[in-house]
Formats: sequence, structure tokens, C-alpha cells
Amino acid sequence: MSEPENATTCETIRDALRMIIDPELGRNIVDLGLIYDVSVEDGRIAHVTMTTTTKGCPASVYLKEAVRNCVWYVPGVEYAEVRLTYEPAWTPDMMAG
Amino acid sequence: MPGATLSPWTMSYFAAACLFLIAGESAMVGGYGYPFAAVEAPATLALVHVVAIGWLGLLMTGALLQFVPVLVAAPLRAGRLALPALALLIPGLLLLVGGFTALGGAQGVSTAMLPSGALLLAMGFGLAIIMLAATLLTVRPLPLPARFVAVGLGALIAAVLVGGAFTLVLSGTVTNYAAIALLLKGVPLHAALGLAGWLTFSAIGVSYRLLPMFMLAPDDTRPTNRAVLWTGAAALAIVVAGIVSIAVDSDGMEEAGSVAALLAVFAALLYSADVLRLFRERRRKIVELNIRASYAAFAALFASVVMFALPATRAAAGEGAAALVYLFVFGWLTGLGLAQLYKIVPFLTWLECYGPVLGRTAVPSIQDLVEDKRASLWFFVYYLAVIAATFSLFAECPGAFRVATLAQLCATVGLMVELVRARTLSSVAAPLRLPAGASRPHLFLPISRPQE
Repeated sequence: MSEPENATTCETIRDALRMIIDPELGRNIVDLGLIYDVSVEDGRIAHVTMTTTTKGCPASVYLKEAVRNCVWYVPGVEYAEVRLTYEPAWTPDMMAG
Repeated sequence: MPGATLSPWTMSYFAAACLFLIAGESAMVGGYGYPFAAVEAPATLALVHVVAIGWLGLLMTGALLQFVPVLVAAPLRAGRLALPALALLIPGLLLLVGGFTALGGAQGVSTAMLPSGALLLAMGFGLAIIMLAATLLTVRPLPLPARFVAVGLGALIAAVLVGGAFTLVLSGTVTNYAAIALLLKGVPLHAALGLAGWLTFSAIGVSYRLLPMFMLAPDDTRPTNRAVLWTGAAALAIVVAGIVSIAVDSDGMEEAGSVAALLAVFAALLYSADVLRLFRERRRKIVELNIRASYAAFAALFASVVMFALPATRAAAGEGAAALVYLFVFGWLTGLGLAQLYKIVPFLTWLECYGPVLGRTAVPSIQDLVEDKRASLWFFVYYLAVIAATFSLFAECPGAFRVATLAQLCATVGLMVELVRARTLSSVAAPLRLPAGASRPHLFLPISRPQE
């Protein structure tokens, strides 16, 4: 699978993740800057690094699971690995717009 | 995953707390307790404990079971004790109230219920403290908001012990001089430990974490935050020293009360400055209703503490500065409690119902679970009624007090209805209400899929 095709899948994943809203802020997690990184190997193995607005928030487990589910549904993705990190900690400056 | 759990019994604590608030406010409307009886009358004592333990104590305990893990980013320890704690606290309070009514001459109850109730309350709060303290102890260094909660728990222990000693004297179980002296002189200190120590310290600690979270404001620790902690803790230490000095029959602490009051004013000033700064520095332009209602509560805290420290307003506030205690309990603590319930209940309901299907299907936002227009009217009526009730106590006008508390009760019930509507998803548009895989939450029983 070529680099451009991997990049296209990354974009598709980012678009798909826009359906997930942060329950507290009511905005999608991509525009909030909660998705730190998306990478794809061989067009089918997806790795997502994400965070939540507050460490220890009870929504964290649901958001991580939601991202994993969402990525699995992206056509072509056969394996999704989601990593939750607080390094660096999210700040409002990471929001788009 | 750090701290990522839903506290299964928190909603049950909230439901019981709301019922006790409605019971307490109904009693005031019915002319029960102060100002229709003396401050130290058994009826007033029963009413005060229904509000302080039944409403505020259960509310705070339920909230801390959910939010202490957020404060320290670690799971709640010994969470299985939450139900036994609740099962001890409710009958404990009912026995205590029964004992107070027995003191007032009611038939079919006995003053022996006082120490029995105190014992159950001590056991119930003891279990809650075990859960919360064990969770706090897992993290080093303790984040500043959690330190407020730790001090609050210390004050709770002291308040329970002193209250327990009171019940032993009132029931005639203990007749020694120190215990009697403690009852005669220590009631305001017991109230300070409960209302200012346990409830206010814990509320301030949680607010330092939740306000930045809700408003997207910087949550870095400032020197003023630490100053609030140390100044407030010093005031509480003086209160504890006052209790000890009464118990050992020492006169050394006679003047210390005014020092503690001044320290409390200083802490309230600093805290007010902190919450104003958070508001100014928020990144979220929309100010949600729970935040607006919380700031009304902050104003009540500031006003009540400052007026308490001023001799003229304290003297004008009636027996035991009742008008100011009322403003503190219903303007500050209850106002903040209702404001945060208005956020927390939809938040937990959303997680419970829509969290498991997030990422698979479209879900409503938390805001879709509530109807702000109606609720803002209820909050407006609530605070207006609290102000009116406070003024009526200053003016020694019990008739006006009853009218004001009736309006307060109506607003409270209105807000409770909004919470029930949030739990039953009544405001959510039908197509989004229950997507495939989502399950309707129970009104107040544990969540169906506890996260451990």
C-alpha cells in the first residue's frame, strides 16, 4: 500500500472521528484537538493517539472505546489500536478555530 | 485507565438527598423550627440535621464518590462500601431526627434514638471516609483540589465525633462536666465544622477542578488557591482548638472565634477572586446555566461570610446569626449543590445511556437532555426566594419567611422535575432518544453496566 493511500485512509479516519462528540463540550473530538495522531500501515492497520480534556474524567473510557469502534468501521481498516495519553496534557489552545 | 469509572450509587445518594431537601423546605413552609421555634429548640435541631446531613451530606458524599477519582485521576477504592454507607446514613439520620422530636415531647419516639442515630451516622460516614481517604492516599503529591477534600474529611470526622458527644448528653447517657460544657458552648463550633469545614472545604476543592473543566479556564495552581487552603485550614484549626479548650475547661480560646472569622473572611475573599479570575480567563464563550447559577452561590458565600464577620450585621441576623446561616446554607451550599446537580445528573445520565454507543451511531449532546429556559426560571425564583427569606429573618418577619420558603420550595421542586426529565431522557428528540444498543437509565438505582 502506497504512502498516498495510507494518507488518504488517515484522512478518512479523521473525518469518521468527527462523529464523536465530547459530552462535556458538545464539539467533535477532532476539532477539539483530542486526536493527537493518526497513522496507517499497509492501508489497513490504524494507530490513533488521543487524549481527553480532563485526566481521570469518567468519559475517558467511553471516548477511547468510541474511537476504537469508529476506526474499525472505516472501510479497509482491519485492525485499530488506540492509545490514550496525557503527555502532553490537552489545553484549550489545541482546539481548532 | 486512570479514574475512568462511573460511581454506581451516586445517583441514589442524589435522589435521597433531594428528598431530604424537599422534606426540609416543606417543614419550613409548614412553620416547623426556627423562626417559629428557638434556634436551640428540638424542632430546629431536627430541621437543621435533615438539611445538613440528609440533603447536603448525602449530596456531597455522592458527588465525592464520583469526583474524588477525577481529582486524583485514580479509581475509587473500596467502592463496594458505597451502598452500605448509604444504608447506614439514612436510618441513622431518621433515628437522630426521631430523637430530636422526642426531646420536643413527641410520642412514640425516645431520646435513646439520638445516640443510636449518631452511631449509625458515624458508621455510615466512616465507610464513606474509608473509600474517599483510601482513594486520596493512592496519589502523591496530592493535587491541591484534593487537599481541600482531605481537610473537609478531617472536619467531617471532628463534626461527627462532637455531634456524637452531644447525643450522649442529650439522651442522658453521659453526665460528665466536660461533655455537658461541650454541649452548652460547642454547638456553633459543631456547625462550623460541618457547614464550613466538611461541606464548604469539599465544595471549594471540587470547584477548583470542575470550574476550569466546564469553562475551559486555566487549571494551574495559583498562590491564591494555596492561600485559601491554608487560611481556611487555620480557621478550622482554631475551631478544633476551641472545642478542645471547652472539653478541658480552659479559657484560652475565648477570643479566638473572631480570629477564625477573620481568617474565614480572608479565605472567602481570596476564593471569590479566584472564581472571578477563572470566569474572566475562560475560553468557553457560552456560559452555561449551571455556571451562572454557581456564581450566584459564590456571591451568597461572599455576602454571608463578610456579614458574619461584621459585628453589626451579625447582631442583626437574629439568634445565632440565623439569617446569615440561612444565606450560607441555602444561598451558598444549596445553591451550588443544585447548580452542579443540574450539570452532573445529565452528564452521568449521558455517559450511562449514550457512552456505550458513542462512535457507532449519532447521539444527542448533554445539553439536549435539559431545558435551560425552564430551569433558568427556577434558578431565578430560587435565589430570589433565598434572598427574600434571608431578609425576612433579618426583619424578624416569620410570615414573610413562610411565603419566601414556599417560593423556594416551588423552585426546588421545579428543578427536581428537570432532573427527573433529564434521567428519563424526556427532552431528547425522539429519533435520537434511544439509539440501538443504548439502554434507558434507571431513575435513581445503579447504572446497569457498572464500569470497574
